[in-house]
Amino acid sequence: MVEKSKTTAVHSSETVRKIRFFSRNIHDKANKAKAEGRPVAYCMGGCAYHEILEAMGVTSVYTEHYGGVCAAYRVSEPYLIRAESEGYANNLCGYCRNTIGFDIVRQELGHMPEDAPDGGIPAPDMLLSCSAGCDHRYKWYQATGRYWDIPTFSFDVMQIPPFDTDIKAIKPYVMKYQVEQFQRLIDFLEKLLGKKMDWDRLAYLVKRGNESLWTWYSAYLLRKHHPSPMPSEDHFSAIVPAVFDLASRETLAFYRELYGELQFKVDHNKGVLDQEKYRLLWAGGLPPWHTMAIINYFETFGAVFVMEASDYGPWPFFDVPKGMTNPLEILALRTWCQRVEYWEDAKKGCGHSRVQRILNRIEEYDIDGCMMHLTRSCRYQSLGQIHFNNLIQKYVNIPLMFMESDIVDVRDYNEADTKRRVDAFMETVDSFKRKGGRQATARR
Amino acid sequence: MPVKKRVGLDRVQELYENRDMRAKELKAEGRTVMGYMCCLAPLEIMSAAGIVPIRILGNVKEPVTRADAHIETIACPYVRSCLDIALKGKYDFIDGLVVPHTCDNTYALYAIWSSGIVPITPKYHHYIDGPHMTFPTSVEYFDVELGRFKESLEEFTGNKITNQKLTNSIRLYNRNRALLRELYGLRKQGPPLLTGTEMTKILVACRVIPVEESNELLGEVIAEIKNRRAIPTPKTRLLVYGGEIDDTALIELIEESGANVVVDDHCLGVRSFWHDVQVDKNLIHSLGARYILNVACPRTYKQRERGYKEAMDNRFGYLMEFAKEYKVKGVILYIIRYCDTFELDAPGVREYFQKAGYPVLHIEDDYSVTTIGQLKTRVQAFLEMID
Repeated sequence: MVEKSKTTAVHSSETVRKIRFFSRNIHDKANKAKAEGRPVAYCMGGCAYHEILEAMGVTSVYTEHYGGVCAAYRVSEPYLIRAESEGYANNLCGYCRNTIGFDIVRQELGHMPEDAPDGGIPAPDMLLSCSAGCDHRYKWYQATGRYWDIPTFSFDVMQIPPFDTDIKAIKPYVMKYQVEQFQRLIDFLEKLLGKKMDWDRLAYLVKRGNESLWTWYSAYLLRKHHPSPMPSEDHFSAIVPAVFDLASRETLAFYRELYGELQFKVDHNKGVLDQEKYRLLWAGGLPPWHTMAIINYFETFGAVFVMEASDYGPWPFFDVPKGMTNPLEILALRTWCQRVEYWEDAKKGCGHSRVQRILNRIEEYDIDGCMMHLTRSCRYQSLGQIHFNNLIQKYVNIPLMFMESDIVDVRDYNEADTKRRVDAFMETVDSFKRKGGRQATARR
Repeated sequence: MPVKKRVGLDRVQELYENRDMRAKELKAEGRTVMGYMCCLAPLEIMSAAGIVPIRILGNVKEPVTRADAHIETIACPYVRSCLDIALKGKYDFIDGLVVPHTCDNTYALYAIWSSGIVPITPKYHHYIDGPHMTFPTSVEYFDVELGRFKESLEEFTGNKITNQKLTNSIRLYNRNRALLRELYGLRKQGPPLLTGTEMTKILVACRVIPVEESNELLGEVIAEIKNRRAIPTPKTRLLVYGGEIDDTALIELIEESGANVVVDDHCLGVRSFWHDVQVDKNLIHSLGARYILNVACPRTYKQRERGYKEAMDNRFGYLMEFAKEYKVKGVILYIIRYCDTFELDAPGVREYFQKAGYPVLHIEDDYSVTTIGQLKTRVQAFLEMID
């Protein structure tokens, strides 16, 4: 028998090691809800509706999350192939192809596929999507409608405005529209479920959600420490509670525990590696869920990904203005603040908020080299990476490598080629470091 | 001896082959020329400001050689082609770039193109945030965006866009749309009075000249075609559905294989012009409603009220009506690779037509003549199957 090599990452944080159970628990809760006849919705990350669904008693199943889990277990391939056989292009979002394929296979079998991780995900009672982020978010469930002829609702969630937008001018009507869109979702749910929104509970959940997010953010500030107490392979697991289960009390408990652990490590100078030689930034792109162990490979060179600059968060604190009591307004404000986080800095700096985030983090986290993951099936996170690099180099001379594969589809991943790239990159990082490290360029 | 002005289809051919010719002439005369992307750009507002809007077109015949240093190869190949052309200085004559929020690809393109990497960066660039939803409030949101766009054009050009100017502009574009519809009507009969290849050239020509000239040209073309004696031989009637088709290569290939493309729904085709803008008191709102509610681009989401079948009727019923009205025998889906919105719709559209009894050929392609040639065998086999 051939021994299966480990493809998932080795985590260094005790708290993060529990995420597998946390993740499984999310799916267990959903399967239990379905068994008990409570409504279950297929959901998308970034739609900012965690607390709304929780307050309405709807159990969420984040289909992107399940795509990542299937990829981590390396069971995606048959689902991807099944979706492609239906005519869905092999360059469409890996999460999307995975779950469309999963849904088809389950329907054809008449039961849950035996190898479905976490015991599978329940059949949805509704499909809830939005326009935040990428085009797949509002298109995917239109396609899913071919297989689930069930109530479906989509709504607008604001984009990151382009670099030259006058954000002061747009804020009033963007916020107004966002609040209205959330209300429309509530109207849809109230009508479908025959019950009213519990506004007090929603307000409580939003407050707790903010606390979870802020605790997460505070914990990550501790990663500036030398040596860094937490690496990116842990981050991509640590996002699960906030991105896919923000409204639960377990999420707040998770980030409090993470904060405590990182604080302890900082206090005792305990890093990811005993000898942290190089500090790296995950500068863009989603992770390769199928082979997260590749991040550990950098550590064999003494390199640690000490921070990320991706759209998965965390996001900084924001002030809830006095008198703002409508939880939908607070949710809209939260969304707004997440989208314009680096705006003011970008105006004074490179002009592009996503690049400014990278530039700021290079300085704040004392970075020696950057890596971007070009994920073949994700245009939203991948398009612009070359441009970002070109812009970064105008401000700071720093080594940057591109890794190419996919979020889910392991067929787009070449282990030997990737490792060769890493080897060459680490030589460059070492050479830079010996010559004094990153250098601000004339444009800065 | 003065050069004789070319008219009708002869002029169309000239403009099709020299797409930037007229814009450069106008620029030399002191006019402001702006490039725009996609079907959501409100041309009426641009024209009302005295601007000449020209559609940013790619080039399926030109290999992408410069864009890869700035945008990933997983970008929509049409978008890569546009950027490549811009990097080669071929859009240096535009004074401004207008990009409505269509998709992830154009969102990325806007930031890259406007960042100073092309030889001459447009003096003006503006991104119009279009909502994906079609609620009444979505239109109101778009109205505000259009209002801001109008103000920024006024500031840039120094020309106040009065209600009267906007009304006149809307009427000119509605006239343009009516003429195009009339032209499409000449394809309903069997055999059609003009080929799909000719129509493609006309569509391109109309997008690279001012609307007034486009109206004049269409008038000439319609008169010329109505007086035709040589009627094309009847062939298998097809509908082509897809994204950007701004070159005749694909349509020619289909028609050379024994078909007539009698109706289309692509980015330069009916999607861009079929619906008028209502002229009423609130012109900006009329524009907002027209562009958000009536442009049947897959980037715009239609809310699903009932079951899947009703949802498909709601989304693609118009296409089925075209198929019936133009008596097509088959449908070709021409989907440009990495265009996620079309790619996610394609299996559903294919199924929708197949269930109605139409044979469907689903082509996924790279917006390049080098790959179009390989499609000939598939198209021929498809036509044999229909016959």
